Amino acid sequence: RPGPGGARPLLVAGQLIDFQWKLGVAISADSCKSLKLPCVTVALKVADGSGNITCKTFEMTVPQFQNFYSQFKEMASVLETF
Amino acid sequence: MLLDLSEEHKEHLAFLPQVDSTVVAEFGRIAVEFLRRGSNPKIYEGAARKLSVSSDTVQHGVEGLTYLLTESSKLMISELDFQDSVFVLGFSEELNKLLLQLYLDNRKEIRTILSELAPDLPSYHSLEWRLDVQLASRSLRQQIKPSVTIKLHLNQNGDHSTKVLQTDPATLLHLVQQLEQALEEMKTNHCRRVVRNIK
Repeated sequence: RPGPGGARPLLVAGQLIDFQWKLGVAISADSCKSLKLPCVTVALKVADGSGNITCKTFEMTVPQFQNFYSQFKEMASVLETF
Repeated sequence: MLLDLSEEHKEHLAFLPQVDSTVVAEFGRIAVEFLRRGSNPKIYEGAARKLSVSSDTVQHGVEGLTYLLTESSKLMISELDFQDSVFVLGFSEELNKLLLQLYLDNRKEIRTILSELAPDLPSYHSLEWRLDVQLASRSLRQQIKPSVTIKLHLNQNGDHSTKVLQTDPATLLHLVQQLEQALEEMKTNHCRRVVRNIK
């Protein structure tokens, strides 16, 4: 669909190819020898406009993940109203 | 090995016999300080006012002296070669002696500074590690899988970067064994012989 001035909109954002996750518990680290820290790791595969695929990995603690999850829950509820 | 000084360089250095030897010694101190920390043009203006010359003249004098010292240090020329190279400038014996002393006094430090200019591969800075147990993933539940996460801190040309890696304990053990083997190589006769011959 042409935008203002008749220009074609550019696909600036990438496309999500894959969403992988894993859940683990950190037990010990060089800075803290005795841990019990649950951790969510997410690996996103994104393709940019020219087809180049990059993988972005990030970790979240449980409170961070709960925030992350609530974003998607909110998005899902808004989509239901369409 | 003699230094080959360009005409422009000789012109810049020609300012040195026009000032007191204490001024030349001060220029030498400024030159080395600039090599350590970078140049500061304000110094040239202050000196130019005191000496009643243009700041360009002072700047060329200091830069000419800096280049003389860095080229001599870079090539590690002998005392005799330094004296012969400077001789063509037609300076007084007192000034020649002062320049030689500046060279000998600062050569080691200048060479250390110059060694840091070589192109650089990322080098080890520090390492953080963490031992995890993976309990579930999108593809498999009910797991107990130990893994080690390593954050490698690297330096390259003054820039800091990090690399995060993950491996299982068996591979980590293998990695440690390989590194120990690399260290052991230093103790072999072959390596010892090569190092001895370079020294």
